[in-house]
Amino acid sequence: MRKRTFNFTTLSVLAFFLLIGASWYQVIGVEKASLASLFSNDNLQYAKKFFSGLFGIGQTEVAFFNKDSWSDAFRLTIETLQMSIMAIGFSTIVMFLTVIPAARNVADGSLTLTRKWYRWIVFGLIRISYIFSRAIPELLWAMIVIFIFKPGILPGAIALALHNFGILGKLCAEVIEDSDPRPVRNLASAGASRPQLLLYGVLPTVLPKFLTYILYRWEVIMRTTIVVGFVGAGGLGQQFKLSMSFFHYTEITLLLICYLILVIIADYISEKSRFFVK
Amino acid sequence: MLSFDLHKRKLLTAFLLLLFAWSLFGVNWQEGVLHSSGLGTAMEIFAAMFQPDLSADIIRLAVHSSWITLAYATAGISLALILALVFGILASGVLAGGKGSRKMMKGFFRGVLGFMRAIHELVWAWLFVASFGLTPYAAVFALAIPYGGILGRIFADMINDVPEEPIQALRAAGASRLQCLFYGYLPSVKASMISYTMYRYECAVRSSAIMSFVGLGGLGYQIQLSLDDLHYDEVWTFMYFLILLIILIDGWSNMLRKRMAL
Repeated sequence: MRKRTFNFTTLSVLAFFLLIGASWYQVIGVEKASLASLFSNDNLQYAKKFFSGLFGIGQTEVAFFNKDSWSDAFRLTIETLQMSIMAIGFSTIVMFLTVIPAARNVADGSLTLTRKWYRWIVFGLIRISYIFSRAIPELLWAMIVIFIFKPGILPGAIALALHNFGILGKLCAEVIEDSDPRPVRNLASAGASRPQLLLYGVLPTVLPKFLTYILYRWEVIMRTTIVVGFVGAGGLGQQFKLSMSFFHYTEITLLLICYLILVIIADYISEKSRFFVK
Repeated sequence: MLSFDLHKRKLLTAFLLLLFAWSLFGVNWQEGVLHSSGLGTAMEIFAAMFQPDLSADIIRLAVHSSWITLAYATAGISLALILALVFGILASGVLAGGKGSRKMMKGFFRGVLGFMRAIHELVWAWLFVASFGLTPYAAVFALAIPYGGILGRIFADMINDVPEEPIQALRAAGASRLQCLFYGYLPSVKASMISYTMYRYECAVRSSAIMSFVGLGGLGYQIQLSLDDLHYDEVWTFMYFLILLIILIDGWSNMLRKRMAL
């Protein structure tokens, strides 16, 4: 057994290095991308123009010294915040509805001490949906969702929720799998119904961990809100894209500042409330 | 104490629920949230999910773009790993001498790492494309910077969590700070570093797929083109390839993590 583990790990490391080599070959050899041409004179000029644009050098209207653009940006920031909270809310609701049958110890009946033939089917279906939602990035979900919903923060929230519910579901199902089965068994043998089991047996033990994961995902969602905005799903990202298209570079700087503030606040809140939950 | 805890938790839950309710007011529900033909489109997209386009041309294209996606992700993560090792070790402060310089080093490099990961990879990609033009390096660098930031921060935390005893033993034997790092800190965190990197690798593949949004090739680019042509069946073919790629890497990293934990 010991020898086998050694082999697999070495093989993996070798395969990884091979993959890295092949990838750099693809980037450098096949696509003929040369590092030197990045720093050509033209590019230097473009970059200089771009960055001096960002910092508003030599421009008459500078967005981040303008009161109106600040109030606009503030409105967008609040919108983005709403979008992120809505997203985590939606994914939490769906996660709560599906997480119990998605735990392995519920499916095989070791937690509730009852065995039903359909449990494994439900387990499989939910797990497949988790993988499905997890594997597709938010931006791609947003591209699809925007076909169905009107532009605004709702499609953005739905796209973010679609991606994160799979992640949350997987993480939380693992929490249930690792939780202590004795209180639930006790309740089950005392004749508690399914909802009662959930309410009095499972939830109290797993809720603090769930909350930690939810807050962690919220922090990640906060970071990704800007991305789903790119395809028209509202918030700072949408404005970012528009300013980019109009070459209003100073506005981009302003939006980036707002975005950074949001991310830092989210970081801080999630760190503090994690402490609070403990 | 227990009742207080319960009380606190209930308060927090109520607060979070209120926050969610507030966020719902941000949507204009009266005017309707769906496009006029939104439901029909949704049905079409859903139906196409079960009949992806499996013609040879599309499959060939999908395989090629999967490789591009994987290649960018791998190149990006390899660069991120180097960045993370350098900045992570610096940010952990184990190389600093005195207490004061250690604190300063920690603060400074943690700040740098925080900045690297605060900006999303797609925003980095956009900045790079705007200043360098469309080159694969834009994708690779855009992946490497935020992932380097995330990995570096975690590496720094891991190094800081190493138990003190082996390090003290090394120091007592006369090891320099660099020797402490190579023979004390790094060997004890190697396994967790590798497993965390593998986990991030999966995320990097996903990010690399959306890099195409700023015009850099790969699966996301094809998905976007097919969506623009309203060829939903092709969209799902590419989606399934992306899912397959993610599942393969997820399985690999799971297996590796299980073996390393033994």
